[in-house]
Parts: sequence; structure tokens; C-alpha cells
Amino acid sequence: MSEATCLQSILNLQSVWSNQDNQVTSHFSHDLFSTHSGDLSTPSLPSVSSQPVPLPFPLSHGTTTLAFIFQGGVLAAADTRSSCSGLVACPAAQKILPIHSHLVGTTSGTSADCALWKRILARELRLYQLRHGRRLSTRGAAKLLSHMLHPFKGTELCVASGFGPCLFYVCSDGTRLQGTLFSVGSGSPYAYSILDQGVEWGLTVEEATAIGREAVYRATHRDAYSGNCVDVYHVSSKGWTRRSREDLKEEYYREKEQREKDKSRSTTGSE
Amino acid sequence: MLRSHILPGGQTHLADRTNHFNFGLKTQEFAVPRGVDPSRFLKSCNNEEGVCIEMNHGTTTLAFKFRHGVIVAVDSRASAGQYLASNAVNKVIEINPYLLGTMSGSAADCQYWERLLAKECRLYRLRNNQRISVSAASKLLCNMMLGYRGMGLSVGSMICGWDKEGPGLYYVDDNGTRLSGRMFSTGCGNSYAYGVIDSGYKEDMTVEEAYELGKRGITHATHRDAYSGGVVNMYHMREDGWIKVCQEDVSELIHRYKKGMFN
Repeated sequence: MSEATCLQSILNLQSVWSNQDNQVTSHFSHDLFSTHSGDLSTPSLPSVSSQPVPLPFPLSHGTTTLAFIFQGGVLAAADTRSSCSGLVACPAAQKILPIHSHLVGTTSGTSADCALWKRILARELRLYQLRHGRRLSTRGAAKLLSHMLHPFKGTELCVASGFGPCLFYVCSDGTRLQGTLFSVGSGSPYAYSILDQGVEWGLTVEEATAIGREAVYRATHRDAYSGNCVDVYHVSSKGWTRRSREDLKEEYYREKEQREKDKSRSTTGSE
Repeated sequence: MLRSHILPGGQTHLADRTNHFNFGLKTQEFAVPRGVDPSRFLKSCNNEEGVCIEMNHGTTTLAFKFRHGVIVAVDSRASAGQYLASNAVNKVIEINPYLLGTMSGSAADCQYWERLLAKECRLYRLRNNQRISVSAASKLLCNMMLGYRGMGLSVGSMICGWDKEGPGLYYVDDNGTRLSGRMFSTGCGNSYAYGVIDSGYKEDMTVEEAYELGKRGITHATHRDAYSGGVVNMYHMREDGWIKVCQEDVSELIHRYKKGMFN
């Protein structure tokens, strides 16, 4: 119950609570995940149609995250700026959250929502593993997340995630797409063109990392809502590994120096 | 040299009114009747509820300066909402052998105002016996835009040229923005193009590398943006004037550039 009210206060929704003390049914009562009736393990809105309240301000995904598949597994990269309209709320946010040893999700949208839903997903997957003795496939995990977000359709709760070694894009408006290359957020157009140029199946891990880093770097250069550092995660059959977080400020100054050097070299050369 | 005021018959010399200014132009192109306020009407059309007229610049154009001049590359698609009006539009206007203007935004506005700019540049050449500088040409266009600011013009243009100061590149907007810079990209596909040209740009590029970069920028933007497409029209502004480099179909170019996509 606490989770539901917490979400309500975040989203500022009105809802009609019936006066009776009825159970808030979990939305999984008809599929295989529910053996718990009556306990409020997942937040859910009552299915009574509530008046949609207009959002106080337009929400947008101020971030750059990307993920693509190649022969060595899945590479995910994201910036680390968490912004609140014009303010940089946190320059060291973590937008790629590992769910378990072989599953990693990137997030975009409201950070509170993303963090919450990732933890809920991690808990559901662990429960599945304990009950059935095997891990849920990535396809299944994507479907699970999509169904969990379904009650909140239309409330602009947004979670986009890449799962490895398959890659899925899941959004709260009901989109669930499998693909080989995705980029989400306000900086995504800048990243997309770089990824389009360089991504192919036969990349080595170093090349893939370089392309992912470069794409996030260019996006942070042009997009105001992306910036600070870049996180790169690589998911393979042995699990995920994380590259140490790099501050892009260094990269920018290194490139500036290189340009100055080229410029001075070219001017001295012409004389 | 005297500048004679040749006013067409019937058009009075305009004084500045509260919301209609003419910034140095001798006559105002479109006389707006007194009492009519186009900017207020347009504001009422931009509300979230009710009628909403979205002015999107549905195109991709890019231009950048480098050691050997200025490269200008544009796509060729014209869209009207979701309908593709044409895939073979020329979005670069050749003002004179040393000046080029690109167009993005409303096709009608761009074509009209840039032809008007071409006329003013020609008149300048005839009156002053020397070519107009890029800075002055862009300022003329900027002042035209400011005269109708807020009234619904939609123009995003880059004026490129080579004058006594060297290669020149200015970005001029319907808001009256006028910026000089090394690299610009306009239109709704501009973010895709920025990613490519940012990562490939070097001050000391060779001419071939610069051509390649311009083509790549437009190609990748047309690949991801629905409102850009057609062919890449590329111009190279050199010290002795501009040359048209190529006119290549983006669907062929994308096959060359995107290695992993079509396996």
C-alpha cells in the first residue's frame, strides 16, 4: 500500500477509492506468477475509471541511453546527468541498473519511477527463479515489465530498458519491441547517427565500447540534458561487466587540445 | 553615390507603428492593414487545447567551414504534414556566384524571402560597384525577418559565401537570430546530422574528406528522420566561387555507409 500511495503522490493522480475494505487485487491474478492473493505485493491502481488529471508540466526524457547487440553480447551505455527542468539534480546518477547477473536495464524518464520499477522487476524475477528453478528468459522479463506497467498506461510513467543478450525496448505506453539497436532520450538523435555509422555484427568488444562511448559523448556535447560522465556495461554469456565511469570533461579537453595541435600544425605547414 | 528612393506608386513611406517595424528597409513588402494583428492571431493558434499550428522545419540542411572553404549539403524532401509533396526540391538558392542560401522551414517563405534577398544583393552590387559581403547579406535577411517577427514566418536559413574576409557562414532564423559560426545544421533532422559531423570534423580535412562528411551527415539524418529524404545536393564554396559537387540519392548512399544494417 505504501508503494501505491507513494506513486500516487509522485504522479498526483486522483482516484476513486471505494469505501469498502476490499482487497486490491494484484494484476497477476490470472497468470502464473500469483500465488499470493490479497497481499499488496505490487502497486496497482483500482480498475475503476478515474478521471485523468492533466500533467502539471510536459515530461520528457532528459537523457541519452543506448544499447546494441553484436557478436560479443550486448553493449549498453548511458550518460549520468539527472536533470529537473533546468537544474542538474545529480551529475552522477546511475542510469544502467543491473537486475541480475545476466540482465541489465537502462532507464530513461523519471528517475524515481525507473528505480522503483527496476527493483520490483528484480524481485519478481528472483521469485520466479526460486519457484521454478530456472531464470526467466529476457523475452519473458520484458513481457513481465510491460504487463506490470500496463495499469499505469497513459500516466506517462516511462521506463526504457535493454535486456541482454536479447535487446528489448519497453515503454509505459505499451510499446515492447525487440531489436538490435536502440537509443532513448533527448540525446538519442545525436547518438543514433553515430551508431548507424559504426555498428555491425562483427565488432570486437573494444570497438563496440569505443562506438558506444563516442555516441554518448557526441550526444552530451549537443544535448543540454545529457552530460557529465558515461557508463558502459557489457553483457555477455558470462554476465555483465562494467567499465569504470569516465568523465567526459576530460575527453572534451583532450579533443580540444588535439584540434589546437592540428590547427597550429596546419598553419605552420602552409607557411 | 546617391541612393534614390524609388517607391512604387501608391505605397506610402511607412512610419514605425507599435508592432510593425521596418528595420532599414525602404518599403515594407507586405503592407499589413491597420488594426490587424497577425501575431496575436498566431498566439491563439498555438495553445495546447484547440487549434494548434505546428511550424516544424521538416528537412535537414548542414553547412560547415573548413580550411578549403565551406561545404553546404541539403536533402530534397518537401512534406505537408504527413504527405510528401516532393522528393526533388532544390533547397539551395544560388544568389550569386559567391553567395548561397539554404532553406528550411516553410518552403513558400524561404523561396520568397531568399529571392528577395537575391534581388537586394543584386541592387547592392549595381549601386555600390562591389559585391555584398556575407555579413551584410545575412543582416539584410535578418532584418526582413524581424520586420514580421511573431507573425508566423518559418525560415531557417544559412547564408554561405566567400568575400574579402574569407569564407563566411551565417545562420538566420525567422525569430531574427543571426549567428556566425563554423558549423550549423537546421531542420528537424539536424540532431542526427550534428552527431555525424561533430565526430568527423577536423579543421585540416582534405576536400574529399569534407565531401564525404557532408554526404554522411545528410544520409544518416534522412535515414532516421521521416521528413528528410530524396537526394543529397552538395555545394562547395571556394575562393573563386561555388561549385555544385554532387546530387546523389540517399537510398544508395545509406547502403554504402551503414555497414551492418543490410546483412
